[in-house]
Amino acid sequence: MTSSPLSSFGMDTITLAGPLETKLAVMKAAGFSQVMLKSDDLCGHPQGVDAAQAAVRASGLRTTGFQVLRDFEGLPAPLHAYKIEIAKAMLRLCAGLGGDVLLVCSSTSPHASEDREHLARDLRKLAMLALPLGIRIAYEALSWGRTINEFPDAWDIVCRADCPNLGLGIDAYHLFASATPLARLDELVAEKIFLVQLSDFMWQHTASFEERKATARSFRVFPGEGVHSHELSELVLRLDALGYRGDYSFEVFNDDYVNLPPPMVAERARASALWLAEDVLRLPAPLPVGPAVAE
Amino acid sequence: MSTSPGRAGSREPIPPFSTDAANPLGIQGVEFIEFAASRPQALGRVLAMMGFELVAMHRSREVALYRQGDMNLVVNATATTGMPHDDEPRIAAIALRVGDAQAASDHVIERGAWGTSPHPGAMELNIPAVHGVGGSRIYFVDRWRDVSIYDVDFLPLPTAQRHPPAIAGAHWFGIVQYVGVDRSADWTAFYRELFAFRELAGGERFGVLPRGTLLRSPASPAGAGFMIQLVEPRQLVSSEREMFQRIGIGVPDVPAAVRQFQERGVEFLQAGGVQPSACGAVTRTYLGSVMFELVRSIGDDRP
Repeated sequence: MTSSPLSSFGMDTITLAGPLETKLAVMKAAGFSQVMLKSDDLCGHPQGVDAAQAAVRASGLRTTGFQVLRDFEGLPAPLHAYKIEIAKAMLRLCAGLGGDVLLVCSSTSPHASEDREHLARDLRKLAMLALPLGIRIAYEALSWGRTINEFPDAWDIVCRADCPNLGLGIDAYHLFASATPLARLDELVAEKIFLVQLSDFMWQHTASFEERKATARSFRVFPGEGVHSHELSELVLRLDALGYRGDYSFEVFNDDYVNLPPPMVAERARASALWLAEDVLRLPAPLPVGPAVAE
Repeated sequence: MSTSPGRAGSREPIPPFSTDAANPLGIQGVEFIEFAASRPQALGRVLAMMGFELVAMHRSREVALYRQGDMNLVVNATATTGMPHDDEPRIAAIALRVGDAQAASDHVIERGAWGTSPHPGAMELNIPAVHGVGGSRIYFVDRWRDVSIYDVDFLPLPTAQRHPPAIAGAHWFGIVQYVGVDRSADWTAFYRELFAFRELAGGERFGVLPRGTLLRSPASPAGAGFMIQLVEPRQLVSSEREMFQRIGIGVPDVPAAVRQFQERGVEFLQAGGVQPSACGAVTRTYLGSVMFELVRSIGDDRP
């Protein structure tokens, strides 16, 4: 079986303008076979959640994952109970898509505990809720997370929780924003990385949490378009050397891209994926397809 | 919001209500196993062959209680799902005997189980339950000694024995659960975290199946527990759903039990690696989905 050089890469719906069906069609036309979905895609669909899920199934695109549960872990009792209900609703949406990864970002809440055992206990509970539905939880260190804001800390929580369907989400943006040494990726276990999101941005440093947040939400670009191309190459090569064979999704929030024709943006994503596949990872090219025998 | 950040970490885990760390729910065995069946009479004929006698009917719903020895089987004709294969019986629930049903339910929900809706389920009783594999339920029952849950809502059949004896010393042994590819570790964690099951060491096997992950429930007294065997599909791509697939019945002497069940009309698989042996035997599949496994279970081998 041959696979496209693009088969490991997918786009996030958040990068494109337009209705869900248009986004899916444009991604497919650009050669992608998977899509990272956001809860808005389902809940904001004019015909409702069922219609959105049907559109995803009809697109033929595989669901990379579903995002995003925020500010979940470490909350005191009344907030925790509330957040459990939110989490269960998110899990049901994710399961309805046949999605197997739910992305969870580290908490920014001033109400959340800093006690790592508490954070781990809550994530373990979330993993238990996800387990019968066949969903894995990818825990990601947001670079402006209150207690957990670098991936080695998120990894520490994942290890403390020690649950087979709880792993790590790696987002290149947050690594660059927090200037976490890439060598620390070597501390991870490849099988416990459930999702890798890639993006870059146009300046070197984001010193404050506020600057990180503003940049993350408006000024991300595709890999190869920003100023951290060298680091981005190193990141995917380190993950590859570690044994990571999972998906790479382009998590590109960009105010300009949602004001451009979606096919133009998807072409940029395609160019980025080809750069990563062929120039950085040097993935084997697919075998040539023989000429059609019969008309 | 009055909680200050400094106090935010004060939410402590609910302490276990049992002092027995090895059995925090106080599991004392299986109270009943429930089948959902759209054709309950057809299933009833299979159960009768297997030695289960119809002993009571629900007062208002099409729910029947079958029994042999200490094993209660509930056949529920009203719990169909509208899902594919709905015409085939499926194992819809397992009910655990525990010390305090509500406390047990609270304990597992606090650790990440999905509670079921509060309205009474199939049994028309408000039995606490959580969701299990593939749409099944796990009930917690604490009324099973002097007053049973059946005394309230079931009418005994006047002609039936209330406590028909077990064929060949049959007792609950366990349940086989089909899981998805690479899902054994997940489900092992599920049963360990929520119910304090323990995975058996690699060499310890029961029954005829050489593969699968064996989990043993805690139980008090010893010998009242049961096993769950997690079995992944042989193919990497499988359309088989995750579900409780079959019931394991323990018997002290498998060949003798096989002969007794054969005399009652039960057919056993004779092919491949599952022909009847001293360790176990598997019946053929009835009604498209129903099979039983006999497992050698005596003395210290009782789960």
